[in-house]
Amino acid sequence: MKTYAFLFWGYAAVWAGLTIYLIALGRKLARVARRLDALEGRGDAGGRRAT
Amino acid sequence: MRRPYDLALGLLTAATAATMAAALWLIFVVAPEEQVMGAVQKIFYFHVPLAAITFLSVFSLLAGAAGYLWTRRAAFDHLAVASAEVGWLFCTLVLVTGPIWAKPAWGVWWTWEAKLTTTLVLWLLLAGILLCRAYASTPEQGARIASVLGVVAALDVPIVYKAVDWWRGQHPIVFGPGKTDPLAPGMLAALLVSMLAFLLLFALLVAARARLAAQEDRLAALVEAAVRSR
Repeated sequence: MKTYAFLFWGYAAVWAGLTIYLIALGRKLARVARRLDALEGRGDAGGRRAT
Repeated sequence: MRRPYDLALGLLTAATAATMAAALWLIFVVAPEEQVMGAVQKIFYFHVPLAAITFLSVFSLLAGAAGYLWTRRAAFDHLAVASAEVGWLFCTLVLVTGPIWAKPAWGVWWTWEAKLTTTLVLWLLLAGILLCRAYASTPEQGARIASVLGVVAALDVPIVYKAVDWWRGQHPIVFGPGKTDPLAPGMLAALLVSMLAFLLLFALLVAARARLAAQEDRLAALVEAAVRSR
C-alpha cells in the first residue's frame, strides 16, 4: 500500500502544478483583455462584440 | 483576429482533455503493472512525457531566441517567453516526479547522478531566463539577455540526453540505443498516448502564453500612446 501513496503524490503534484499555472495564465489573459477593451473603447477594434 | 484564435484554443483544449482522459484510462486500466516496481512504475507514464516535452520546449525556445536575436521581431520573442515559461513548468514537474519514483526504486530522493544534475542545471537556466525578463531595466534588454540564455539552455539538452551514456549513470534508458527491455504492448500504448496528451497540452499552453505576451505588448503601446497624447 505504501507504493500507492507515492503514486498518489506524484500525480497530485503534476495536476496541482498544471492547475495552478492554468489558473494564473487564465487570470492574466482575462485582466489584460479587460484593460485592452477599456483602452480601445469597448474593443470592436479587436473583433470582439461590445457587451 | 481574436475569434479564430479563441476557436483554435477551444478546439485544442477539447483535444487535450480528451487525449489526457484516454491516457489516464490506458495508464490505470489497460497497462499491466510492472512486476518488480509495482504501482510506483506508473509515474513513468507522466515523468517520461514531461521530460520529452521539456526538451521540445527548449528547442522551441531556441527557435524563438535565435529568431529574435537575428530579426528583432516581437513574434519571435513571444514564442521565446512562452516556451521558456512552459519549459520551466514542465522541467519542475520532471524534477518533482523523478524523486517520487527514485525513493522506492533507489532508496533515496535525490543523488548527484549525471542525468539528474544536468536536468537541474537546465531548470536553473530556465529559471534564470524568467528572472532576467522580470528584473531587466527595460523589456528590450530583458528580451536580449533572455534570448542569449535561451541559446545556452538549448546546449544543455543534448548533454542531459546523453548523460547516462557519457558518465555511466544509473538513470533508466527508455528510448534509443542502450535501452534494455522492450515495453509490453499495453505499456507502450499508454506511454505514447500520454506523450500525445502532453504534446497537445504544451501546444495549448505555449499558444495561450504567447498570446498573453502579444497582448501585453499591445497594452504597453496603447498606454504609451495615451500618455504621449496628453
